[in-house]
Amino acid sequence: MMVSEIDMISPETMEECLQILNEYEQEVRLLAGGTDAVVRMKEGHWRPKLWLNIKGLRDLRFICEEKDGIHIGPLTTHTDMVQSSLLQEKADVLVHAAKEVGATQIRNMGTIGGNLGTASPAGDTIPALFVLDAVIELSSVNGIRRIPIEEFFVGPGKTVQHKSEMITNIIIRPQEENEIGIFEKLGPRKAQAISIVNVAISLKMSGDGWQCAGGKIAFGSVAPTVIRARKCEVLLTLQELNEEGISNIASLAWKEVAPISDVRASAAYRRDMSTALLERGLLRLMKRWEDR
Amino acid sequence: MTSKWIGKRVPRLDGPERVTGELKYMTDYHYNNMVWGRVLRPPYPYAKIKSMDTTRAKNLPGVIAVLTHEDIPGFNGFGIVVPDQPVLCEDVVRTTADAVALVAAETEEIAEEALALIDVDYERLDAVTDAEFAITEQAPKLHADGNIHSHVVIKNGEVEKAFQEADIILENTFHSPRQMHAFIETEGGWGILEKDGTLTIQCPGQYAYRDRLQIARALAWNPARIRVISSPVGGAFGGKDEITVQIYLALLALHTGGRPVKIHYKREESVIAGMKRHPFKVKMKTAAKKDGTLLANQVLAIADTGAYASLGGAVISLAIEHSCGPYKIPNVDLEGYCVYTNNGIAGAFRGFGVNQVCMGIETHMDMIAAELGIDPIEIRKKNVYHQGDVSSLGHVVKGSVGTWKTLEAAEKCDLWINREKYKAEISEPWKKRGVSIATSFHGVGMGIGLPDYGAASIQLLPGGRFEVGVGCEEIGGGNGTVYAQVAAEILQCDVTDIVVVQGDTSRTLDGGTVTASRSTYTGGRAVATAAPNMLNLLTKAAGEIFGVSEEQVRVADKKVVVYDADGKADSSLSFAEIYDYLYENRRDTRVEGHFMLPKEKKEIKGSGGAPHRLYGYLTHVVMVEVDTLTGETEVLRVVSIPDAGKVINPQGLEGQAEGGAVMGIGYALYEDTIIENGYHKTTNFSNYILPTVKDSPQIETFPVEELEETGPFGAKGIGEVVMIPIIAATISAIHDAVGVRIKHLPATPERVYAALKARKDQTNQSNEENVM
Repeated sequence: MMVSEIDMISPETMEECLQILNEYEQEVRLLAGGTDAVVRMKEGHWRPKLWLNIKGLRDLRFICEEKDGIHIGPLTTHTDMVQSSLLQEKADVLVHAAKEVGATQIRNMGTIGGNLGTASPAGDTIPALFVLDAVIELSSVNGIRRIPIEEFFVGPGKTVQHKSEMITNIIIRPQEENEIGIFEKLGPRKAQAISIVNVAISLKMSGDGWQCAGGKIAFGSVAPTVIRARKCEVLLTLQELNEEGISNIASLAWKEVAPISDVRASAAYRRDMSTALLERGLLRLMKRWEDR
Repeated sequence: MTSKWIGKRVPRLDGPERVTGELKYMTDYHYNNMVWGRVLRPPYPYAKIKSMDTTRAKNLPGVIAVLTHEDIPGFNGFGIVVPDQPVLCEDVVRTTADAVALVAAETEEIAEEALALIDVDYERLDAVTDAEFAITEQAPKLHADGNIHSHVVIKNGEVEKAFQEADIILENTFHSPRQMHAFIETEGGWGILEKDGTLTIQCPGQYAYRDRLQIARALAWNPARIRVISSPVGGAFGGKDEITVQIYLALLALHTGGRPVKIHYKREESVIAGMKRHPFKVKMKTAAKKDGTLLANQVLAIADTGAYASLGGAVISLAIEHSCGPYKIPNVDLEGYCVYTNNGIAGAFRGFGVNQVCMGIETHMDMIAAELGIDPIEIRKKNVYHQGDVSSLGHVVKGSVGTWKTLEAAEKCDLWINREKYKAEISEPWKKRGVSIATSFHGVGMGIGLPDYGAASIQLLPGGRFEVGVGCEEIGGGNGTVYAQVAAEILQCDVTDIVVVQGDTSRTLDGGTVTASRSTYTGGRAVATAAPNMLNLLTKAAGEIFGVSEEQVRVADKKVVVYDADGKADSSLSFAEIYDYLYENRRDTRVEGHFMLPKEKKEIKGSGGAPHRLYGYLTHVVMVEVDTLTGETEVLRVVSIPDAGKVINPQGLEGQAEGGAVMGIGYALYEDTIIENGYHKTTNFSNYILPTVKDSPQIETFPVEELEETGPFGAKGIGEVVMIPIIAATISAIHDAVGVRIKHLPATPERVYAALKARKDQTNQSNEENVM
């Protein structure tokens, strides 16, 4: 299939979009910011019969706080997230992660829904969504279902989303008082590179001192999907997060990951780097906690 | 005499249009009625072609032409030195960078589809992918004469004896990356068969006249029937020195019924088909006395040129010529091989082999200094040669030599003096900083055996402006502004009165390549040679107009002035008035200037062209910060101290120094085109890691000016050495920071981390042994 033979429809409402998804019988793909989709089209991997261009669906671009959490529309761009004062205050880890995505142009175009739909194990916003207990809302003409993020991904590039469904909302929990988060990324250079390893951490500190009341840690790029580091999380509360405590926790991280070797890095390096990034992230978080 | 334009910070004449994007590169053009060309590449790095059938492709609607080797009217090969690369492969493919067939079609998509419909039956052969293996008897021979394209040797003194007498000997092996030019404008251009039967090739290049000859040879055409327009260029760095797509364009243009044909590689195609820097393996053994005096250097360098020679032979020659650094080493044994493999194609690239060997000698200088407890600048000062000294190669260095002065300036720069203070200012507790220096040099112009000349034309235009024509293309360095400055200085006008034309066989003279750090020297000197001829033309015309002798007429401040017998200014004419007079009288308004570059007379035996008459010199001081948790290295500060002779435009020099520094950092830390078993693993800029602005340090440039008496106003060349010593300096700075030496570049976070881990394991082990 040549690119010029692909059709494109730009629905004006979500209902129209869901109708098309339901009725169109040949291969159809959603097109949001296009920062991944266009590249894959160019490379010949994605040549659907129809592009469903949803970039114009303004109703799907929002960030607001509701009773059940912070709602983020799937067409929210990375720049929107970086600039959101609500997220800066109550989801700092997601803001950090969004900042690390690509260059300004990519952040202006790329959307959080697209990042989820692409389902790359190296996607930068996904570990942050893991530690914020994100719930993904999938809609179709038949109704709505909500999937916890840990159940959303099936493997690299694969999710539980059906062909007739689209992501219509992402709901995260707001960080609590004394909860601080950080996103650490190791790439082959400082910016504009795919992660070799990344990790999102969110810690609830118990008042003063270095005692942590609980926290969440999620790694990217070291397994077929983003994964939580549950053993490390348990250890967070068992000792003070001083240099020694941090080193102890981090030294466990390599046991929780199952990376592969590719053109960007070897599996052995990725394994060691999960430890290094967790250590660096915790050290930086504690410095911030101390300086607050 | 004070200069009005020379040595002044003249903003680039083509700056605004480049910065705003208004400038159109040739691959930005579109023509009505155009057609698209594409190139078929083989799927295997080494295979026999058993048969080829283009029927299906030709029958695809929208396809205009499908060409194979059978459609080449002339010689099926190209290559600057040895034309060993087929234009279109006939019986064998030696790399995935080869071209097998060409397609012209109504759209790029149809052309692409047609490529898939060309049926080629291949028989796969075992690829030769290791340069050292390629030299052995067991290796399949990729070319009729075997896999050794060239072998150079320079010997001087007695190394073995020196090794016996030495107090310290170091022996190390260094691996260098296959750097990609990564120009913003990928290879591409236009072929147009004109109504009068001539051919116009608009294609970015680095030597229009030589491109024209190579096209003519493949077409079996009189070169005079081909016009090549080769400027402006969206970056070249040596990667457009060889033929890129010019011959494909010419062949297709002969089959499109006069419709313009365009080829423009996608980045992915450029990564596979484009030239790269030669990856080297350099074994070096260096000996010194206790006081730091260098005694001997033994070098074995093996360069992987890939499937074809291009300039590989010259690259290894230059590498060997520069392998002892700008030092006096009395005993040397230097040997280099340029070897064929099935790993893509390597050719010219800024630095031209010197980058690879500089890493070896400068690392050894640092190690010797550390081991003997001598300051790294002191040990270099102790060993450098001066003008008139005998170099390690055994020849008397006649050109100006600025190494000592650049080292002196390095010693006195803030970063070096206060290095301990800056090193202590780490940004986070687990990071460490290091500061280091390195120095290097680079030949200017061609070596012995290659005629080297410059030429320029100057034409008086209506209105009194001047068109300055220089063959050397504008490849990004700003040489056009230099030419305007030189012309304006001598012609006593404004730079804005100069219109510079570059790289066009119908409008500029053959003045050689824009390579070899030569375009400021050569083009500048050519303009400076032509300009007095224009002054003569002006004064002669004014003399005629006023009926006075030429001696009474002088050009001064934008006009021609007639002086009376007492030497007082009498009357004057504007350049515009002179033009009108010449035009009315059907007189010539154009002059030329030609000269030959100075050369050494005697070639060093076996060296393949050494020595050069002229060299540019440069010292870098670098500060890095290494993250000991991850192995990431950040270059924080760079001081670049070039000896470029007279600096014609300080702003242009800074541009070169800064761009070169960042390119050197890319080589040292990030960049490598990875080829495994003959297949490219690197595909595009997602996985070819170039430094971005965020990875670029603060760079200061402090030129020292050792005037070169043969150069225009004392200028030399600097285009390549600006990226060389920073490579070794960065790697030494990593050692200064964390104590590990990386010998396999680039020093990626993974390599630095692995070295740190190995050292830690070793320390732990020896501690355990101590306990036992």
